[in-house]
Amino acid sequence: MKEKIVLLLAIATILISCGKDDVPIETSLYKLVRPDYFPQIIYPIENNPISKEGFELGKKLFNDPRLSLDNSVACSNCHVKGVAFTDPQHNPSVGIFNQSGTRNAPMIANMAFQSEFLWDGGVSHLDFVSVFAIENKKEMGETLPNVVYKLNNIPEYGPLFKSVFPKIDSITSPYLLQAISQYLLLLVSDQAKYDRVQRGKDNFTAKELAGKRIFEQKCASCHSGALFTNYKYMNNGLDSVFKDVGRELISAEASDLGKFKVPSLRNIMLTAPYMHDGRFKSIDDVLNHYQHGVKYSSTLASELSGTKQLGIPLTNEEIDDLKLFLETLTDYEFISKPIF
Amino acid sequence: MNNINFFYKSKNLLPILFLLITTFMVSCSKDSDSNEPGDIEIEFDNIAIVNGVERQLTLATSGSTDYSYTNGKGQDFNINLLRYYITNIKLTGPNGEVFEDHIHVDAAGTEGIYLIDEANPASSSVILKSVPAGNYNKITFTVGVEENGVKEGAAGGNLDPATSKMFWNWNSGYIALKFEGQSPVSAGGTSGTETLGGVTKGIAYHIGGWKDVTGTAFVYNNKTLSFDFDTNAKVKKGQQPTVHMVFDVLKLFTGKNTIDFTGNNNVHKPVDGKPAAENIPTAFAFDHIHQ
Repeated sequence: MKEKIVLLLAIATILISCGKDDVPIETSLYKLVRPDYFPQIIYPIENNPISKEGFELGKKLFNDPRLSLDNSVACSNCHVKGVAFTDPQHNPSVGIFNQSGTRNAPMIANMAFQSEFLWDGGVSHLDFVSVFAIENKKEMGETLPNVVYKLNNIPEYGPLFKSVFPKIDSITSPYLLQAISQYLLLLVSDQAKYDRVQRGKDNFTAKELAGKRIFEQKCASCHSGALFTNYKYMNNGLDSVFKDVGRELISAEASDLGKFKVPSLRNIMLTAPYMHDGRFKSIDDVLNHYQHGVKYSSTLASELSGTKQLGIPLTNEEIDDLKLFLETLTDYEFISKPIF
Repeated sequence: MNNINFFYKSKNLLPILFLLITTFMVSCSKDSDSNEPGDIEIEFDNIAIVNGVERQLTLATSGSTDYSYTNGKGQDFNINLLRYYITNIKLTGPNGEVFEDHIHVDAAGTEGIYLIDEANPASSSVILKSVPAGNYNKITFTVGVEENGVKEGAAGGNLDPATSKMFWNWNSGYIALKFEGQSPVSAGGTSGTETLGGVTKGIAYHIGGWKDVTGTAFVYNNKTLSFDFDTNAKVKKGQQPTVHMVFDVLKLFTGKNTIDFTGNNNVHKPVDGKPAAENIPTAFAFDHIHQ
């Protein structure tokens, strides 16, 4: 009798806990969660609460080439999920009428934690990033008013927008931009081996640890924190004469000439080509640049303008270990997650 | 002295005294009725002062070579488009009256952000509601949209970039003032909303730049301006005064800096817009009040 009661209690407990868990698992897929070792969420999420329907609408828009002038280029053309939403095919990416852009398509991941976007940081809010790509003459070449007009004339979109934003009568630009942001916000990459180690669920190998130590000594002053960037604009010595002025375009400050945003290194082994103009095809090219290729100019980062030699001295063994550590930043779950 | 004695002595005057007090109380309560908040209209008239004569603006159709205006360099021009944002309106009065217009920005719309568009006559009238009763003799406002309008993200209403066409995508933020037209001295090649590349003599001045970061060279072109009225605007329930402000478009090109239409006449960056932006403060003026 006593055993039966215990059994019943146990079953009841399981049932209750199952019932409790069911709802959160479904909704938590569509909830922005900040790992405790990440920087704070910057996006004002209260202005645009994420829903399953909003996320899915954003994903549909992200993959819809009708957002471009000649209906040929979707956001996903140059931001391919399998390589952490970068462009492995083209250097630089190709927009409407087969035009080449001037800058390398950056990774889309962990957007909620950033305050400025694009290589020069000209865009100060995630909602406005997609306006840039839609209206850029070499990317999607459209105008925002015309995209709004097109969407209002595609029958399937009206009800989808209405299901996400019930108060609207027709599609307007802020709702288009908010829907895309809902999708982008949930593209959080926090399941790499590095993250498992952070959570105490995995361990680095001896070689990875050696690589981590080198990274901390020689790279982490700029590629710092859980997102592996200090969010600053720096000149890493690619050129001494600048075809692209970089951050100076935004700040109008001569001391920003040739500076670009320090990129996050998450998924770095997947996101070739590298640099703002995609000039390096492999990680070896990148490390070789820091070893031997740094060029002097007046705005060169002080971290790279050593007194004896420009750049970062690295031995071949250090490079091998460094690459093993960088590999731990690859998030295979991120690039294969079904809902993305 | 005599009066007091008079009251003390004439007890039959008490009813009159009572009536007097009652009347006083009634009129007091009438006074408090009229102390309820009211509305005030701020009218922004775009004008051109030519040889001391104030003229209403006329917009030319894009491509027209009919030039009605002349800049400080003697260069003729016409106007195809004139649009600007007025935000952060504040009224103050001689007795400590203060009214600050509420700003709210979201996807559904905006409050406290006004887009004055010469092509849309209704847009020149800004009606401020629920202004505390009192006298106001000073207005402060910002030409342009400040950080509080940008950092909220995608916005509708007057800020909707698809309808306002007052948004920069590459250096995200709202254009404070947009002027487009044509001048025979322009070499062309300009781009804009009305004055497109095909318009050979185009001039386009898109003035913006809201990033005001201390210690950096970011070009901040929004202008916060204050004007004293020559008389009080009396606000109370049922009485809506109109404050007439004027914007002299000719002064956009003269004042602190003399703008040359043969120079950089295709302005689309904060740094390029700075000379014309510095003329904005003297282009606006208080004109008169209709009580």
